[in-house]
Amino acid sequence: MVQGRIRILVLILIVGMSFVRSAVAGPRDAKELAARIDRRLENHWKAEKIQPAPHSDDAEFLRRIYLDITGRIPRPADAHGFLSDNSADKRGQLIDQLLESPRFAIHFANIWRAELLPEIATNREAGVFQRGFENWLRERFRAGVGYDQLVRELLTVPIAAKGQDAEPVLRDPERPNPLAFFAVKAARPENLAAAVSRSMLGIRLECAQCHNHPFAKWKREQFWSQAAFFAGLRKQGDGLFAPLTESADRHEISASWSGKLLQAAFLDSSTPKWQEGRGPRTVLAEWITSRDNPYFARAAVNRMWGYFFGTGLVDPVDDFRDDNPPSDVDLLDDLAHSFVESGFDLSFLIRGICLSRTYQRTSARTNPSQDNTRLPARMAVKAMTAEQFFDSLALATGYREDQDKGAARRQFLARFALASSVSEPETSVQQALTLLNGRFISWATDPEKSPTLIAATQTPGMSLAQRIETLYLATISRKPNPEELDHLERYVRRAKSNREAERLADVFWTLLNSAEFRMNH
Amino acid sequence: MTSVDLLTRRTWLRRSALMTTGMSLSGLLGRLAAQAAEDPRRKRSCILLWMAGGPSQLDTFDLKPTHTNGGPFKEIATAASGVKISEHLPQLARQMNRLAILRSMRTREGDHERATSHLRTGYLPQGPIRFPSLGALVSNELADLDADLPGFVSVLPQGAFSQSAVAAGFLGSSHAPLVVAGSGETLKVEDLKPPSVSAQRSHERLELLHTMEASFLASRRGTGTTSHVTAYDRAVRLGRKAAARAFDLSQEKDRLRDQYGRSLFGQGCLLARRLIERGVPFVEVTLGGWDTHDNNFEQVKSLCGVLDPAWATLIEDLKDRGLLDSTLLVWMGEFGRTPGINPRNGRDHYPGAWSVVLGGGGIKGGQTIGRTSKDGSTVEDRPVSAPDLIATICLALGLDPKKQNLSNVNRPIRLADPSCEPVKEVLA
Repeated sequence: MVQGRIRILVLILIVGMSFVRSAVAGPRDAKELAARIDRRLENHWKAEKIQPAPHSDDAEFLRRIYLDITGRIPRPADAHGFLSDNSADKRGQLIDQLLESPRFAIHFANIWRAELLPEIATNREAGVFQRGFENWLRERFRAGVGYDQLVRELLTVPIAAKGQDAEPVLRDPERPNPLAFFAVKAARPENLAAAVSRSMLGIRLECAQCHNHPFAKWKREQFWSQAAFFAGLRKQGDGLFAPLTESADRHEISASWSGKLLQAAFLDSSTPKWQEGRGPRTVLAEWITSRDNPYFARAAVNRMWGYFFGTGLVDPVDDFRDDNPPSDVDLLDDLAHSFVESGFDLSFLIRGICLSRTYQRTSARTNPSQDNTRLPARMAVKAMTAEQFFDSLALATGYREDQDKGAARRQFLARFALASSVSEPETSVQQALTLLNGRFISWATDPEKSPTLIAATQTPGMSLAQRIETLYLATISRKPNPEELDHLERYVRRAKSNREAERLADVFWTLLNSAEFRMNH
Repeated sequence: MTSVDLLTRRTWLRRSALMTTGMSLSGLLGRLAAQAAEDPRRKRSCILLWMAGGPSQLDTFDLKPTHTNGGPFKEIATAASGVKISEHLPQLARQMNRLAILRSMRTREGDHERATSHLRTGYLPQGPIRFPSLGALVSNELADLDADLPGFVSVLPQGAFSQSAVAAGFLGSSHAPLVVAGSGETLKVEDLKPPSVSAQRSHERLELLHTMEASFLASRRGTGTTSHVTAYDRAVRLGRKAAARAFDLSQEKDRLRDQYGRSLFGQGCLLARRLIERGVPFVEVTLGGWDTHDNNFEQVKSLCGVLDPAWATLIEDLKDRGLLDSTLLVWMGEFGRTPGINPRNGRDHYPGAWSVVLGGGGIKGGQTIGRTSKDGSTVEDRPVSAPDLIATICLALGLDPKKQNLSNVNRPIRLADPSCEPVKEVLA
C-alpha cells in the first residue's frame, strides 16, 4: 500500500517535473531535430558543390560546448575526464549535463541581459540594474520556464496603477528585478516598442519611428501603434530611478510627428480584443507569445542559431524583412515549429542544435568551397564576450574574485567588452598590451604566485611533458600534439635547470596570449 | 624577430586581411588614389581638449559682465579686436586671432552620460547602434594602419575605457583609442612595457608565441585571427624604442614643460603635440572638474589656471614647429552651465546656450560666431547643434560629413547626422 502510494507520488512528481521542463519534447526529439538539421544542410552541400569540414575532435568540441553553454572553458579535470571517456554517447551526455549546470543559467542570463538591455554597455547609471535583471533571468532559466513564459512574465511585470503608490524600480540592486527592463528604457513607449520588436520579434521597427521603413513594409503608424501598448506608463519623477505607474485602460498614443491619436494594434494588423481586467501589456504579451505568432518563434530560433553558429539563418538575427530572406527558409520553419511544439523549451532547441553534426564540425577551413555559403560548412571562429573571456582566464589561472575584490574582473570586463559582431572577433592594441604586459598576466605567470603554475611546476613526480600538458589543458583544453610537445620540451630544457619554472611560465604566458585561447572556435 | 621577418609577416597579414575581410580591391585602390591626389599639406590632425563635466561658458568665453547672471569675473580684451574673454585666460587672450568662439551651441541633453555620447559621437544613443566617437571617426579616415603609433590616443580619459564616449563603436577595435593614463605626476601608456622581464626573455616569449600559434592561425584565417595578429604586431611595435619614445616627456626641455604647466593636463597637451608631430591623426586630452554645482567661481578660476598656460603654449609650440596650420584644435565639454547662479554659488547643467572653441588648421580665427541673450539664457543668433559641430569639425579636417560607414546593424551611418548644417563661416 505504502509502496504503491510512494510510487504514485513519484510518478506525479516525474510527470509534473517533465511538464514544467518540456511539455512535449524529449531527448529523442532533440536527436531527430539534429538529424533534420544535418539532412537539410547535406542537401545544400550537394546542390552547391560544397565540401563541408570534417567532424571536430573531442577536445575542440569540448571547449566549444563549454564556452557556448556555460560561458567559460572546462576545468582541467573535466577536460581530462571527457577526453579519456570512451563511451559512445559522451557528447550528448555532456550537453545534457551542462544544460543542467548552474553555469548555464548564469551565462544565458548574461547573454539575454546584453540583448534586452544593451544600454548598460554605454550608460553607467543603467549599469546599476544589471545584477538585479540578470538575477531575475538566472532564476527563470534555473526554474526551466519556457521562453514564451519568460517573455510574458517580463512584459506583464506588475506596475502600480495610477493613483496608487508608484512602483519603485530598484530596491536592492541584487534582488531579481524584471522591472529593470522598463526602467532602463525610461518607460518610454517608443523605446519599449523598439526593444520588444527587435529582441522578441526580430523586426527593426525603430527605423519606422521617424519615417516609413526604407527597406521593409513597416509604416510609421505601425511603430506608434505598437508603442501604444505602453502608452499608459508614467515615470513619477526624473531619471532612470524614478518609480512608475500605469493607466491600464489607456491604449492609444499621440504620435510624435503628427500628434495624431493612434490606437494600439498588432504588427500583423489584427486588432486587439480589449477586456476588463486585462491591461494592454497583457494583451500584447499574449499576442507575441502565442503559438501562431508569425514572428516570435522564428525570431527566437534564429537568434539561437546565430548564437551557436555566429551567423543567423536571417542575419543580422534581428532583421527579418522581405528583402533579407533566410538562407534556408524550410530549416527556419522547421526549427520554429519544433520549438513551439516543445513548449518553447530553449534547452530542447539547444540540444537539437548542439547534437547536430553541423554544430560539431571543426572550425578549421579544410576546403575553399566552405567560404561560399551563409550556412555553416565549418564552425565559425566566434568572438567571446568580455565575461566569457575573463571567466575563462580566471579558471585557467586560478584567479579568485576575493583576492582583489573583483578589481581584475571589472578591468577586463571594461577593456574586453565585445565591440564587434560575434562572427568577426576583434582584438585591440590596448587588449593586446593588457595580455602581453598587464598586471594580471604578470601575476598569472609568476611561478611563485600563480596557482596554476604552482601546480604545474611544483607537483612532485611529474615529467616535463606532463607539466606542459597540464598547462595546455588548463588553457586551450587540449593536449599538445607531438610536434608542439617536442618544441616546448626543447624550449624549456634550453635554459639552465634552475630556470625550469620560469620557462614553463613562458609556455603558460604564450598559451594565454594565443589566438586559440582568445577565441571560441 | 628580425625586421625582415616582420616585414614579410606584415605583408602576409595585409594580403590575408585583404583576402579574408572581403575588402574589395577597387575600394583599396580608390583610397590609395584619393590619398595620392590629396595635397599632403591638406592632411590634418586634430587635438580635442575635452572639458569633462561641462565648463561654464559665462566664466570663460561668453561673459555677461553687465548682468546679475555674470558673476564676479571681468572681461579682458584679446589679440582679436572686439573679442573679449575671461580675465583668467590671459595667455589665451594673446592667441585669440588663431581661435574662433562658437557662442551659440544649443543641444538638449542635460545628463552627463547622454550628453557626452551626444557631443562625442554627434548622435543620440539609439538602441543597439554603437556610434563611434570622433576620435575613431578621424582615425578611420586618416590613420595609417601600418604606422607604429595608433590613429587615436586618449590622454587621461575619465572613468572606464568602455565608455561609449571614447570608444570606437562599430568602427571596431583597430580604431579604439590607446589610453594614456596619469599616475602621480607622470603620464604613461598602460601596460606598454612588461614589468620585470628582461628584453631577452620578452623577445623569446614573443618568438615562442609566433611559432606556437602559427598552425592555428593558418587553419582559421579570417577576421578574428587577422585582427589578433595585427593587434599584437602593433602592440609590440608600440613597445619598441622609437614609438615608446613618443610618450617620453623627459625628451622635452624643462623650460617648455614648465610653460605647459606641470599639471597632468599641461603635460598631456605637450604629449599631444609630440604625438601629432609623429603622425597620430587624433589626440584627445581631458581636463575634468568642470561640474561646478558648488563654488563655481573658485573652481573655474583654478581650472583656468591649468587650462590657460597649457592651451596657449600648445598653440605657440605647434606654430613654432609649423604644425598649427595642419592641426585642428577643439575645446569643448558636454554642455554649458546655467546662467543663473544657485544658492551654493554654483552653476548647474545647461545645454540650452553654451560655447565651444575651435582653432588652428582649417579655422578662421579671431572671430566669434553666434550670440546669446543678455542674460545668457537663450541663443539669439546662429544656433549650433551637436551634428552641426561634428560636421564643421569634419570639414575643417578635410573630411566629407556625408560619407557613410556601415554600422553594426548593417545600416549606413554618415560621419555627421544628415540633419547637420556645418558652420561654414568659421572655416578658413
